[in-house]
Amino acid sequence: MSESKIAKLHEGLVHKDFSCTELTKKYIEATERDNDTLNAYVTITADTALQTAAEVDKKIADGCEIGLLEGIPMTLKDNISTEGIRTTCCSKILEDYVPIYNATVWDILKNNNAVLLGKTNMDEFAMGSSCETSYFGGAKNPHNINHVAGGSSGGVASAVGGNIAVYGLGSDTGGSIRQPASFCGIVGLKPTYGAVSRYGLIAYASSLDQIGPITTNVEDAAIVFDAIAQYDEKDSTSQGRKGAPAYDSLKNDIKGMKIGIAREYLDGVRDDVRKAVEEAAEVYKSLGAEVVYFDLPSLKYALPVYYIIACAEASSNLGRYDGIRYGYKAENYTDVNDMIKKTRSTGFGDEVKRRILLGTYVLSSGYYDAYYKKAQNLRGTIISSFKKAFEVCDVILAPTVPMTAFENGHAVSDPVETYLTDICTVPVNICGLPGVSVPCGFGDNGLPIGVQIIGDSFSEAKILNAAWQYENAANKFKAADFGVKL
Amino acid sequence: MVTKEEIMKIAILSKLFVADDEIDKLTEDMGEIILFADTINNAADEGSDFDNINNLSNVLREDEVVPSLEREKILQNAKDSDNGCFLVKNIMK
Repeated sequence: MSESKIAKLHEGLVHKDFSCTELTKKYIEATERDNDTLNAYVTITADTALQTAAEVDKKIADGCEIGLLEGIPMTLKDNISTEGIRTTCCSKILEDYVPIYNATVWDILKNNNAVLLGKTNMDEFAMGSSCETSYFGGAKNPHNINHVAGGSSGGVASAVGGNIAVYGLGSDTGGSIRQPASFCGIVGLKPTYGAVSRYGLIAYASSLDQIGPITTNVEDAAIVFDAIAQYDEKDSTSQGRKGAPAYDSLKNDIKGMKIGIAREYLDGVRDDVRKAVEEAAEVYKSLGAEVVYFDLPSLKYALPVYYIIACAEASSNLGRYDGIRYGYKAENYTDVNDMIKKTRSTGFGDEVKRRILLGTYVLSSGYYDAYYKKAQNLRGTIISSFKKAFEVCDVILAPTVPMTAFENGHAVSDPVETYLTDICTVPVNICGLPGVSVPCGFGDNGLPIGVQIIGDSFSEAKILNAAWQYENAANKFKAADFGVKL
Repeated sequence: MVTKEEIMKIAILSKLFVADDEIDKLTEDMGEIILFADTINNAADEGSDFDNINNLSNVLREDEVVPSLEREKILQNAKDSDNGCFLVKNIMK
């Protein structure tokens, strides 16, 4: 039986089996011990965590009711702004940047007395698939530290998979929540574009970025999603959650649900991953769902379309780093232009510079029509083909990543080869759809495999329902040998 | 194929320096990346003009003055500031 970690700890707090301070200290001790190995956290906020824990303990002692997320130790990816706590994007250019306001998601969780253990590692500016473009070095996979945690939200996945945080929030631009969740054998939800406020999320590609939860189980993902999916007037693209909370329909029967499999998603996928996804389809059949196969030919354009649009938006978003208002500033320069160039050239890492250059190239005069405009038009084609797919099925089942976690150092050696591994995750961002990755077994090398369930816009309740039913029936989660043992 | 000259031009537009010993490797890397991006031009499908990708509509409000961040707070992340302003070198001679 699938079990919520958040609900279990909440019960423990309410029944006074342990105090919030005891729980928090346990997590801090484990974090201080295991972070040397996992490199999941780049900033640990033990003092503020204990302060919040004391407040929660006082509430419990006073006989007040506490919410599900109150007093639960958690983490945030280091591109989510936290007032008074440095937020680096794991870049030299923001190494000492301390935000003066909170991201809306952190405001919501802070008001719920969430216990923030610290800020977690990521690829620099969320650009990467292995967490290794981080200025602080990559986070390690808790199932095998010779392998990466994935990216870009590698630190959150390493911390949650390594039991040194109960849950965390990541951001997903082309798979950055789902891919590391898949690599670390846990659950990652990328919500519909607009469901969760992006205010205070340091921008990479604004039409693709979305914040979402990384948890050990589907029920926790639903609890966190329901809490953070709120309309926010500070984000002009915000819509909030539509319909009832996802939690309410989590355990609904899925008899008769149509699970679609697009053949193109299985092309070029490693054999052990393909087999695990096909086994997941069999589990769905045993639960009374119907599996339908269909074609999605536009999928082959998804990757180049994604890289062109993401880099174009990044080249514009990262124009703000000039050394004048915040962040790193070059020391020796002749004039303002020289200062800006030296600041950016020293402050950004190689992958960020490559993506800024590609983005500038596809937007520049003479290339705009052939690349950026063409990519936007093909984005329209891909969106239409997904809309058509949802006429024949309720949700789409696909691999999350075509393989398991790379060995350390492998991804940085060949940029284009690494881009190709994002093939199964980017279509969801291109179309603004929700997708959740759930553990579905272990590969030939003993590393976790994830299966992805994709739904139409604002259908988080439906995909989490399908995900919970699969998780509960298949039971593929295995805790890694790190962190707090509950 | 992308040339060194094109990369240098793009670098200027991006406000990035490319050192002499980096240019060959960068041109090679960018060549590969642009070749990969170029695969969209093999698509028979032209797509259709599509500009409202996330199905958004404008959100407008009354233009009212509301409190914003404090000046001292805004300046606290700047490396150089003076008299309530960000400080940069002269931009005019």
